[in-house]
Amino acid sequence: MPDTTTGVVVIGGGSTGAGVLRDLSMRGIEAVLVEKGDLASGTTGRSHGLLHSGGRYCVNDLAAAIECVEEGRILRRIARTTIEDTGGYFVSVSEEDLAWEPRFVEGCAKAGITCERISVEEARRREPALSQHVRTVFWIPEDGHLDPFYLVMGNVESARRRGAQARTYTEVTGFIRDGNQLTGVLTRDTMTGEETSIGCKAVINATGAWAGFVARLLDVEVKVVPVKGVMVVLSHRVAHATINRCHKPGDGDIIVPALSVAILGTTAVKVPHPEVLPIEWDEVRHMIEEGSLMADGVSTARAMRAYAGVRPLYDLGAEAEGREMSRNFAVIDHEQRDGIAGFTSIVGGKVTTYRLMAERVTDLVARRLGVTTPCTTAEVPLNDRDDELDQLRHRPAQLGVPKPHGGERPLQPLVCECELVRPQDVTPWFEDAAVRTLEDIRRRTRTGMGPCQAAICSYRLAGRLVTDRHQDGPTATRAMAELLETRWRGVRHVFWGSQLRQAQVTTGLHLELFNLDRQLMLQAEPAAAPEAVGARQ
Amino acid sequence: MITDEVGTFSDTVEEAAPVEACTKCTACNTVCPVARSTEIFRGPKFLGPESERYRSQPEAAVTAGLDLCSGCKLCEVTCPSQVSIQEYIRRAQNKGAAEKGRTLRDWVLGHTRLLSRFGSMTAPLANLGNRNPLVRWAMERVLGIHHKRPLPRYQWLTFERWFTRRPHNKTARRTVAYFYGCWVNYNERRLGEQVVAILERNGIEVIVPKQQCCGIPAVVNANMDLARKYGGENVRRLSGLPADVDIIASSTSCGLMLKHDYAHLLDIPGAEQVGARVYDICEYLWMLHEAGELNLDFQPVSTRLLYHAPCHLKSHGIGYPAMRLLRLIPGVQLEEVDEGCCGISGTFGVKVEKYDLSMKIGSRLFAAVKAAGTDAVLADCETCRMQVEHGAGAHSAHPIDILARAYGHG
Ligand SMILES: Cc1cc2nc3c(=O)[nH]c(=O)nc-3n(C[C@H](O)[C@H](O)[C@H](O)COP(=O)(O)OP(=O)(O)OC[C@H]3O[C@@H](n4cnc5c(N)ncnc54)[C@H](O)[C@@H]3O)c2cc1C
Ligand code: SF4
Ligand code: SF4
Ligand code: SF4
Repeated sequence: MPDTTTGVVVIGGGSTGAGVLRDLSMRGIEAVLVEKGDLASGTTGRSHGLLHSGGRYCVNDLAAAIECVEEGRILRRIARTTIEDTGGYFVSVSEEDLAWEPRFVEGCAKAGITCERISVEEARRREPALSQHVRTVFWIPEDGHLDPFYLVMGNVESARRRGAQARTYTEVTGFIRDGNQLTGVLTRDTMTGEETSIGCKAVINATGAWAGFVARLLDVEVKVVPVKGVMVVLSHRVAHATINRCHKPGDGDIIVPALSVAILGTTAVKVPHPEVLPIEWDEVRHMIEEGSLMADGVSTARAMRAYAGVRPLYDLGAEAEGREMSRNFAVIDHEQRDGIAGFTSIVGGKVTTYRLMAERVTDLVARRLGVTTPCTTAEVPLNDRDDELDQLRHRPAQLGVPKPHGGERPLQPLVCECELVRPQDVTPWFEDAAVRTLEDIRRRTRTGMGPCQAAICSYRLAGRLVTDRHQDGPTATRAMAELLETRWRGVRHVFWGSQLRQAQVTTGLHLELFNLDRQLMLQAEPAAAPEAVGARQ
Repeated sequence: MITDEVGTFSDTVEEAAPVEACTKCTACNTVCPVARSTEIFRGPKFLGPESERYRSQPEAAVTAGLDLCSGCKLCEVTCPSQVSIQEYIRRAQNKGAAEKGRTLRDWVLGHTRLLSRFGSMTAPLANLGNRNPLVRWAMERVLGIHHKRPLPRYQWLTFERWFTRRPHNKTARRTVAYFYGCWVNYNERRLGEQVVAILERNGIEVIVPKQQCCGIPAVVNANMDLARKYGGENVRRLSGLPADVDIIASSTSCGLMLKHDYAHLLDIPGAEQVGARVYDICEYLWMLHEAGELNLDFQPVSTRLLYHAPCHLKSHGIGYPAMRLLRLIPGVQLEEVDEGCCGISGTFGVKVEKYDLSMKIGSRLFAAVKAAGTDAVLADCETCRMQVEHGAGAHSAHPIDILARAYGHG
């Protein structure tokens, strides 16, 4: 007998899995999502956060472009607070770009993408950051920023309100079968090692780049090619709108202003495993050089960190490689294809099209379960209350101070000053069992995502572990060290200028002044600690 | 320039770094006198570099609490990353004022020069009025100027007129141009007279080019356009001086405007070159001393003194030349108070909603001054002197006053 039972188990807590969980719950199907890390810790949290207008695909992948156009419009209705309508520029800086233009214009027309040619002078007036290299400009009003973290959390919260569950740090390690029918999954807690089982009628494999590994547990094949992309984060927005090169998608051809930062992207390199994502100095430099062709200030801005994600490109068997492969998604019906009833995979796609992907796979699974309730995710907004997922960019205005002669009401201290995180932004998450590490708090609140990369706010978060979660000092200290460590992994790729100085301040503060490494060492070998001697008396 | 001959003993102004240079070390917050005195001010780190990241966005300008920054610039002096913290705050204040409109009070305080001219023309009357409780009550209601804040006395004979009327001696090794500023012109002509006497005593010819308010009252009252206009006039006139004529200022803040803010905050063309030849009066005299040219023929002045270093003097990056100079005088016993900002910061502490805060900021200084019980508290900045007299009930003077006494010009 499984430890618990539910209707459907969704594997994977990225945008796809979260979207599926919500869709199931809205059709009244009981569901549990299991994610081996934190929500949005896979590819979803490592994307640019571009709400694709479709402009980047309209020449090579018309179908994907059309999906983006339609989904972009839907998301603006249902996920308004996770989106910033920046609009976007497609700029030409070289002869090849200029030669690409007619095809781009034609592609936009075919896909139904609003596209307006504006003069370079007009473009510079609107966006002074456009570089001197820019020769022609198209304005695409429907490009935007889509915050992948808020999107995933919003979907999961919405599903939870309808009775669904989400378990983080829970990895699917095997399946329970009854002949050809799947009847459950075996899971392992990746932090405690605890093993459990969940009984269910159907399983949806939404593990993106990991889909092949999960399928292999059932001896079936799902061919996903892991293609790495490197991105660089700059410490401010650089531009007000997204800037794309108007050419065949290539390396380093996009700048996304994402809340308080700008993200430069990206590369496309096949990797052997979705978790082997080395970041090379050449890639970082290349991104900055290419970005500088499009916008001024890219090379002088402070690079805060670099990170990499892995595309879950579904291999349709074509010889197409890397970027040439379709950004479309596939629903794989393993009952039909492999004779395993109750197992369905959903792979490929984009964050932008997560809702459509969820709709398609849920349609299939619901039909098999005999549920006829239609999909309503295109109509019902994510948040029942508008302010539920508050937007970072509104925070500055909310940090008002009373006038002195109106009496001194002390200001609320901020948890993270770089990203304007207020105490009320983090408090609810400390009560959420799905949140286990300070990184999880970061993903939900942006704490530690500013220029200092948690150098200062990590202390405040560690303090909250003691006050809000009643953890002891050593445990909280370890959690703090882990947060700093994960930030450090991204920071070390941009060790020059201000971020190098920052790293010195950070190490000076934590390692030299507060002796963090020594404290961790003492914790690791408690027997050597002098307290042990005292305890015997 | 005197630096060409005797070499400079410190870099006056450090090169400013972009906002990105901030490493969040929080050193600026620990020295900010406002943040230390009230819990409704988020401090320089937040209002400067941190908010600046959001100010580039079209819709989100962090404005709340900006007006509480007094402009002392201690944060900038302290910042190990050379972030122009206060400049960012200033620009944001100015932008806010340009969008929301300025209060009448801030308009008036920004036009100190006009006000002073009027005050000086009607000197006896204005001084009477400024001490009349009824007038002060009306000023508080209409203008928002706190009734407890003593206002400066105006003098009828301006420094400018005094200087043009006096006989001019012209045999000298060096010539300097004196930027006297509104304070000396309208309120404390005697200080200007002492500056001229001391320089001439050292064989230096003093000329007084035509000049406008330095513009700092306009800057701190969020009127950068007016400041730029004043600054432009000054730069134009001072640029016309012969190349070997240095420029001397006896007011710390005037000097800082000329040296630094014209070029960096206000972007006035040609200001860099003018700024490079501007010296604080004590800085200049100390350089003369280092060159072996200072007349050391002092009469003993037997007195116990405290020295309060004005915040803006710290921004000059020249140390405390006044202390070094005065310690050359026999009989002078001089200690530094070192209790931080006096709290007034120009017109900041004059405003009705900031008076209490300004007195709270200065309270540490006042206590130390009262405890020391010296003959006087010296400060190079006129508003510091007003604040120390008001807050600590002590006598206060410019360091030049002591030097003048030593030369027998007291
Ligand atoms: C560099 C880069 C930039 C991109 N930029 C954009 C962009 O700007 N806009 C856009 O729309 N799209 C973008 N994409 C595409 C988009 O990010 C992905 O297509 C999308 O996030 C995939 O979501 P997912 O939920 O399918 O996969 P994921 O987010 O990877 O989720 C899968 C999850 O499954 C979990 N998992 C794996 N195995 C198991 C297991 N055994 N048990 C439990 N859980 C498991 C993983 O931990 C992971 O969290 C980008 C992709 C890359 C690589
Ligand atoms: S200028 Fe002075 S008051 Fe303003 S923030 Fe800096 S230290 Fe504080
Ligand atoms: S002192 Fe300078 S570097 Fe340090 S926090 Fe303040 S502005 Fe940033
Ligand atoms: S700053 Fe200087 S010139 Fe300007 S008003 Fe004050 S004293 Fe006058």
